[in-house]
Amino acid sequence: MQPPVDSPSSGQQTSPDSSPTRVEGRDPQTVRLKREYEAEVEKKVASDYSHIVWAYGIIWALFAIYGVILWRRSAAQRADLEALDAKLGSSKK
Amino acid sequence: MSVSKYVPYTLLLTAAALFPYCVQRIFLNTPIEAEMGTAQKIFYFHVPLAWICMLFAVVCGVAAGIQLRRRSARAEAVAVAAGEMTVLAGLGVLITGPIWGDATWGTPWTGDARQVSTALLWLVFVAYLLVRAYGPPNSERIAAALAIFGAVDVPIIYYAVKIWKTTHPQTGVVGSLPDSMWSTLWYCLAALLCLSVAFVWIRASQERTAIALDEAWIAAEPPQPKPA
Repeated sequence: MQPPVDSPSSGQQTSPDSSPTRVEGRDPQTVRLKREYEAEVEKKVASDYSHIVWAYGIIWALFAIYGVILWRRSAAQRADLEALDAKLGSSKK
Repeated sequence: MSVSKYVPYTLLLTAAALFPYCVQRIFLNTPIEAEMGTAQKIFYFHVPLAWICMLFAVVCGVAAGIQLRRRSARAEAVAVAAGEMTVLAGLGVLITGPIWGDATWGTPWTGDARQVSTALLWLVFVAYLLVRAYGPPNSERIAAALAIFGAVDVPIIYYAVKIWKTTHPQTGVVGSLPDSMWSTLWYCLAALLCLSVAFVWIRASQERTAIALDEAWIAAEPPQPKPA
């Protein structure tokens, strides 16, 4: 039977009163590596900001581009209306 | 000047005030989900965008139906504006979904029923806009039929997770959220809804102006002399 495992690298500490969980069938090094790996994954999952920055950036860029397209279309319509006014004005003279 | 002219600008101002608050809530007041981590925060804009995409697909389909039945210029303008918003929101969903999938499923595209049906909806409405923009004269009626066809896809998207085996969460997952996540989702939905309704309102108004301008230009043209 393997001795109780308390990996210093995993950052977990057992109090003297609590009975540590016995891990059977694995050597201490494997357990330590597994805990290190899990800690690394947990840290990565909790600080994965690249995906969220991309997602939010794309959403806001899409709406901003559409806003600019609407604004330009509005400006083009104003110019068209002025041209029509000018044409109607010149034809009345 | 009518009061309705101020509605889209009021909505835009509301959205401008809500967006920074939403971001603050998402990152400072909403807990990190235990399994998916920070990538789950994409949910707060991805899900409202999907709802908005489906909402405006239905609006476009209904307006297109009214346009076909009554030949209403107002309905036509609403259909065009709603169709553009469906494509815009759909594009947002189809980009943010795979980004989220890449982070949590390990792959951006699993080809599940909800992904595929959303992509089909998007393609139908892209076809609708292309037919409207580049179709021959009177093709707006064909485009309207396409919009109605596209709107039928909305219930398929909604029920896709119930009918088929998918990697997407079930429809009831939103209702099972804790209060902090739930309220943040509603603020994000309100912000995106204000923005999208404002854009649809402005676009519909532009379309009606364009129709009126076309008619005015035709009326302003001097009559062509009849060929001898």
